Amino acid sequence: MAMSTPIGIRAAFLEALKTKSGLAAASMLGFLLLLAVLVPIIAPYDVVNSWNNPTVWADNPKLVPPEWSERFVGKHLPRTIIIPPDGEPGGFKRARVSYTSEGQIYTIVVLQQTFDFQYDAFPSEIKLYFATSFGNKSPLVHAYLERPDGQQILLFDDTPSLRVPDVNKFVPSDVITYSLSFPTFKDPSYEVFANIKSWLISKNVTNDTEWQSLYPSPTGFYSNPPRAQVLLLADLNHSMLDPTTAQVLKGTYTIRFVVNGFSSIDDANARAVIYGTVFGLVGTDDQRHDLTVALLWGAPVALAFGLVGALASVLIQTLLGAISGWYGGVIDEFVQRTADFYLIIPTLPILILIGILYRPSLYGILFVLVVFGIVGATTKVTRSIVLQVKEEQFIEAARSYGASRGRILFRYILPRVMPYTFALIALTVPAFIFLEASLSFLGLGDPNLPTWGRLLGNAYSAGPAIFYTFWWWVFFPAAGIIFTTVAFALMGYAFDKVLNPRLREQ
Amino acid sequence: MPVLDIRNLTLWYRTRKGPVHAVDDISFSLEPGQTIAIVGESGCGKTSTANAVLRLLPKNVARYEGKVIFDGQDVMDLGNEEFRRSVRWRGISMVFQGAMNALNPAVRVGYQVAEPLMVHYEVDRDEAADQAMEALRKVGLPEDLVRRYPHELSGGMKQRVVIAMALILKPKVVILDEPTSALDVMTQTNIINLLKDLKASDRLSYIFITHDLGLASELADLVGIMYAGQLVELGPSEGVFVRPKHPYTGKLLASVPRLRSEAAPEFIPGAPPDLTAPPSGCRFHLRCPVAFEMCGWSADEFVEQMEAIRQTEGSKIPPISSMSVKSPTHLVIRPGENGTAADFAKALGSFSNENKEKYRFLKAIESVEPRTKSVEVKLFESSPPPYIGDDWRASCWLLKEGGS
Repeated sequence: MAMSTPIGIRAAFLEALKTKSGLAAASMLGFLLLLAVLVPIIAPYDVVNSWNNPTVWADNPKLVPPEWSERFVGKHLPRTIIIPPDGEPGGFKRARVSYTSEGQIYTIVVLQQTFDFQYDAFPSEIKLYFATSFGNKSPLVHAYLERPDGQQILLFDDTPSLRVPDVNKFVPSDVITYSLSFPTFKDPSYEVFANIKSWLISKNVTNDTEWQSLYPSPTGFYSNPPRAQVLLLADLNHSMLDPTTAQVLKGTYTIRFVVNGFSSIDDANARAVIYGTVFGLVGTDDQRHDLTVALLWGAPVALAFGLVGALASVLIQTLLGAISGWYGGVIDEFVQRTADFYLIIPTLPILILIGILYRPSLYGILFVLVVFGIVGATTKVTRSIVLQVKEEQFIEAARSYGASRGRILFRYILPRVMPYTFALIALTVPAFIFLEASLSFLGLGDPNLPTWGRLLGNAYSAGPAIFYTFWWWVFFPAAGIIFTTVAFALMGYAFDKVLNPRLREQ
Repeated sequence: MPVLDIRNLTLWYRTRKGPVHAVDDISFSLEPGQTIAIVGESGCGKTSTANAVLRLLPKNVARYEGKVIFDGQDVMDLGNEEFRRSVRWRGISMVFQGAMNALNPAVRVGYQVAEPLMVHYEVDRDEAADQAMEALRKVGLPEDLVRRYPHELSGGMKQRVVIAMALILKPKVVILDEPTSALDVMTQTNIINLLKDLKASDRLSYIFITHDLGLASELADLVGIMYAGQLVELGPSEGVFVRPKHPYTGKLLASVPRLRSEAAPEFIPGAPPDLTAPPSGCRFHLRCPVAFEMCGWSADEFVEQMEAIRQTEGSKIPPISSMSVKSPTHLVIRPGENGTAADFAKALGSFSNENKEKYRFLKAIESVEPRTKSVEVKLFESSPPPYIGDDWRASCWLLKEGGS
């Protein structure tokens, strides 16, 4: 034999690096490790606390692909534009004046800001946030959109009854939200459809009959509401009625709120979000989560889970297998029968049961997995290797010069078994990653962490259409799982090649 | 006073077929500085003898008895733990068969050599490493070897490491179990010279187990020839190798190929006997070229041999319909069709007279008596040959009168 089986973990590792699969695996794992270390730096996020909090993600568009995907359609797709409230840079500009007429105090507040829209497609949504403080009587609010072609459209008018103590402390979740695209029924912003209709009729773009046929609303409720974000930002001609033919009117738009208040203390502030149709590196899901964050944080979670689980269970199994093979007799019998028992326990159903009953955290799941893996196939494999090793002469030699049984186990037998164990660890990591992904997919994973499996589970439960339309939601977490498991599998194969004499090329 | 006196050492293994008589009633003694070579074919119990002396027993021991008197004390009386602590390696150490496999591949050579020190004296690692260096120097290896792993060493170096390991506790007796069997001739010579030097400088006693007669004659003062679990001849090497007493020793010596000789080496026909049921009488009689009446033929063997020659001789043998064994020395043969018992007895008698020298088992026939339908064959009674001689002993019936 040209080369002998390398001795020890270090030698085996160096040897494994010389194979192609070992090198590939090492670079893939190196990348993953680097990512896992860097993630807390490049994407600092209190993931555990923010993932399930919708307000954190409120400004992201819903279910949009990654930004770079616009290259596939050859268009410059809209990014999300946020106009912050007055008081923040680039925010709404506020003008306020109070005057008295016939003994009555009036206050007029005007909030306005422009935004430049130079994209080739329409936004996915438009939301206006509005905060006001007033005296006894609600102010009268008008919201307008002024287009680059000079058209000015009244979006809605309202007399809001919700008061905020201080309009300058603008918290989006505490103020009134006017969703122009998806208003709730009888919401004041619902008027925007009626206002758009009368604007279009007045410009002879459409007529009442056509509008009724396009957007039937016999009870005042639209089963297929008009897309305000398209109609408001399209070239003013008949083609705008059909979203597929509508042309974007590029240029500078102005959003304006005019508030007529009835006391000297009346004041107002506003914020606007024009949602894009692409987002970030990986896109978003239906909860507006930034999938980049989930994808990045999935790496350390998967790595840690897979490695800790595989290390713990394989090392425990190896030790028990070695003890079983070396000491033999009653100990052997006990360990092996326990292993048989463990092997027939259906782990996944039990995990599902535990998941349903206790909703364990990631650590809990890991603990349960390790407990169910203290004996198993590796115990049997190790035992068979030990049975072979213990007949070797250096063991007999050690016995002859008086080494105790424990000393032989730890100094002679385990070092011989460890390289195989290392290969087994590498091959077991994917199993653990898959298990965690399966549990998360079934909705039984850690409820607070966005793992890759959980993203897939969310996508799956959102409906079958997801798998065809919203490819980024499925592709990236699946790619993450596959990348990691392939890396470890390649590592395992590389070790196997080095350590299994029958697979070695001479 | 002998440093090691072994008396009636017996080691049987339990197997499914019955007990294996691996070491059967072996006795020899060894003075300080003396070397005994134990020579024999594979499977004759050489290594088992070594293991029995060092009490390295497998789990399936059926019988383990006799006396091992080391330094005046019968160490068979010691408990396992006491034996491990006071005799193994401190008093009697061992160089294993196939040094390539006797080293732990995961441990550096230095610690491997020092391992017995650490086990027995709980010496700390640094001091153990110093002593290991000393031991390596003693066997002619460079000191920097301590940092190497066994797989980086050549066969001869490994063998020296194993010897260093055997000597590190300064034992009085070293068992060399085929220490050179996997080495080339030059390396073998080097190792043997090293062993000779160590023997001279440290007054070591060796039990040298080998199947290589040349090496045995090189190193040994005494030679024990082992066959089927027994020592058939034990004597001074100058004597045994020159004028062997036992026929087996003679055949063994004749089987060694010689340089510059046209004659083909001889071989011993047949195979070593099954040790679960060793032959009665002299265990070599089945293959012995000079076996005769007393050598211990049993009725079973007679039947077996008869069947064997019926294949080759065919028509010369009177037709036989069946043979049945009544007792170890007594069997009944039914002649084949159209033959009377009396005719058959006569025919068998003449056949055996004619072929006695060719098929020596026929000599075992004491009498052939025809009965009504069958022939009763009585064989000579026999017992194991006595072990004859004082300084040079052998067990063969031919030695009864002291000749050869």
